[in-house]
Amino acid sequence: MLNCKICSRPVKEEGYCKEHWKAYQNICEKFKIWQKALEVSWMSYLVNISKNSLTGEWAKEVVKYLIEDERRNVKEK
Amino acid sequence: MKKYTLIISEKPDAASRIATALDDSGKTVREVSNGLPFFVAKNGDKEIVVAPAIGHLYTVAGIKKGEWDYPVFDYQWVPRWIVEKGFLKNRIWLNELSKLAEKAEEFVDACDYDIEGSIIGYSILKYACNSKEKVAKRMKYSTLTREELRESFSNLLPQLDFALVEAGLARHEVDWLYGINLSRALTLAAKSNSGMYTTLSTGRVQGPTLKYIETREKNIRIFVPTPFWNITAKICIDDHIFDLEYEKKNEAKTEADTILAACKVNEGQIVKIDTKEFQSRPPVPFDLGALQSEAYRLFKYTPMCTAKIAQHLYINALISYPRTSSQKLPPAIGYKTILKKLSKAPLYQKLAQKLLAQPTLKPNEGTKFDPAHPAIYPTGDLPERSLDTSEKNIYDLVVKRFFAVFGESALEQSLKISADINRNLFFMSAYRTLKEGWLEYYKPYVHSKAFALPLLFEGQTFVVKKVSLKDNFTKPPLRYNPQSLLKKMEKEGIGTKATRATTIQTLYDRKYVKGEQNITITDIGFEVTEVLRKYCPEVVSSEMTRKLEEKMEQIQLKKDTKQNVLTDAIETLRKVTAVFKQKQTEIGAQLGQQIKQTRYNKQTVGNCPTCQTGKLVIIRSKKSGKRFVGCTNFFENKCNTSFPLPQTGAIKPLVTPCKICGYPVIKILINSKQPWKLCLNSNCSVKEKKNVEL
Repeated sequence: MLNCKICSRPVKEEGYCKEHWKAYQNICEKFKIWQKALEVSWMSYLVNISKNSLTGEWAKEVVKYLIEDERRNVKEK
Repeated sequence: MKKYTLIISEKPDAASRIATALDDSGKTVREVSNGLPFFVAKNGDKEIVVAPAIGHLYTVAGIKKGEWDYPVFDYQWVPRWIVEKGFLKNRIWLNELSKLAEKAEEFVDACDYDIEGSIIGYSILKYACNSKEKVAKRMKYSTLTREELRESFSNLLPQLDFALVEAGLARHEVDWLYGINLSRALTLAAKSNSGMYTTLSTGRVQGPTLKYIETREKNIRIFVPTPFWNITAKICIDDHIFDLEYEKKNEAKTEADTILAACKVNEGQIVKIDTKEFQSRPPVPFDLGALQSEAYRLFKYTPMCTAKIAQHLYINALISYPRTSSQKLPPAIGYKTILKKLSKAPLYQKLAQKLLAQPTLKPNEGTKFDPAHPAIYPTGDLPERSLDTSEKNIYDLVVKRFFAVFGESALEQSLKISADINRNLFFMSAYRTLKEGWLEYYKPYVHSKAFALPLLFEGQTFVVKKVSLKDNFTKPPLRYNPQSLLKKMEKEGIGTKATRATTIQTLYDRKYVKGEQNITITDIGFEVTEVLRKYCPEVVSSEMTRKLEEKMEQIQLKKDTKQNVLTDAIETLRKVTAVFKQKQTEIGAQLGQQIKQTRYNKQTVGNCPTCQTGKLVIIRSKKSGKRFVGCTNFFENKCNTSFPLPQTGAIKPLVTPCKICGYPVIKILINSKQPWKLCLNSNCSVKEKKNVEL
């Protein structure tokens, strides 16, 4: 069984375990509100919530992974 | 000594008070037989001996000995000293009670009139007094005042309340069945994988309670805040400064900036004032849950702590029996008598006399009813000794609440003021107290939003001092605190008023949760809940626990039987334990990994200051058996940093490193000695200076 991209738990969806998958879904959902509020880009949004002390621990772990992933993608391009 | 009446009480303090109250002269002889204190009193021509229990002297235990497996469905009631460590003293206590019973001609159970008290009395009468439960009479009282105790003794109930006893026996037996089977299933599964013995427990109420905390924690951990902006205006009317809020929160920054720019004017106008008068009814009398909630709100006492303080006050005959779920105060308690007694205390004189001057006294009662006891009220007896701060606080709260329930409704006015600043609408809410009513009696515990306002009218203009924009973010849900968790349990109908606080404490004892004010689930708590949710969801379901509670209440009302309830519980457990047996390896793997991690974390002292990459962990030398701290990189021949450790006492690694040298610090805990902190660095200058804080 495959492990989550972030922790050692088994994968549930798109490479995430159950808890990190829920956090990921929440991050995607809240992006719409941030876009409307501040007209931010996806990357800027991620950086913003990664620095926010109210962001939950698991959400932050996913954000960290997403930021690194974005940076990797940019480099590869 | 000639033949006497043997009265069994729940605790020595209560025994002393009962004996003193029943003795005609108010004096009692205290005797001690092999450590058992008992009290001899004279009531009319009756010789009385009051002997105490010390809580539960009997408990449920499995019949088969030595076998540590599950499922276990065969059990019996046995003396507690046989199965629980630290209760050996009870053996002599029980022997002495049996000796006292041999010379008694009449038996009376005077334990608290509730489920626990009924079981304590019943089991002593049955097992230690040679089956006297069938002939024993029952004392029923709600306060330990002389008057009520004597009244109760003169009007003894002809027999024990067997419905209450049955309900209590069922509760204990069901809890034992759940506890023993599920805890063994968890512990054995974990041991099968990790090879380590770690006590993992759960229970009928513990499981769902832990699940509430886990669900909340998950919502906090996946939380993503979103921004919004509040616009506030500081205005001046007749030299009074007020804060107004813009009509809605803004979810777009550009929109908020536009409004802010438009509000940069010097003047505004009140466009509308909506007033609403409403009556605020007096509070209802305290049941235990409400007292615990209020004590937490006002003094931050945990529910467990409040229950203990209330119990002390009850034993000292200052308040009525606290473990009640009633919100009713029947006239039989004697409202006037209590108020007259309280009026003798200078602190309460004025308020008590004011209430006594009312033509009638009618309490504002709530809907909850407890057949055994009324709501909590002061007995009117004044403290014979000076109370400590916490006792004083709870006592005063109970007295003031008692006063307040007899007060008239308060009349309050709410005002909603709408104001226009350059065609943008702002609001302010305010409250006024028009008639104080019960609020006067409940000071200083009233939570009032009222404040003084100048004369305001529609069309009135005001000066705009400042308009500002505040960045905000939505907040994650709050973690439970002991009070809100207790409320949640109450709302979900799980546990009883007497057991909820203990269940919360058990979660702390098992290290499933941590944090006093903000309860956070630990990793092992997460794992246990996850396993239970996955393999036996019914165990963490409020629904099942609530149904079981209802059934047990039905036994008390004689609408169901203990046997039916136990059969259902065993049936459920048979299925659950079968799943555990079948999936033991899977469950063990999940729990074992976490146990290993938890143990590793417990042994980790901090980062290695030498190699910077390894972790410093507590290790025991295989050669010498001595413990020391070493770097994890030692095993890869990368770092040989090590530090000596004291060989006695428990070691607790501290999160904050040494303020002087930055090395990890540990705390040494030795029984009966003051704990002390130790910086691992033997050359740290802190060691040269005494009294320097690490």
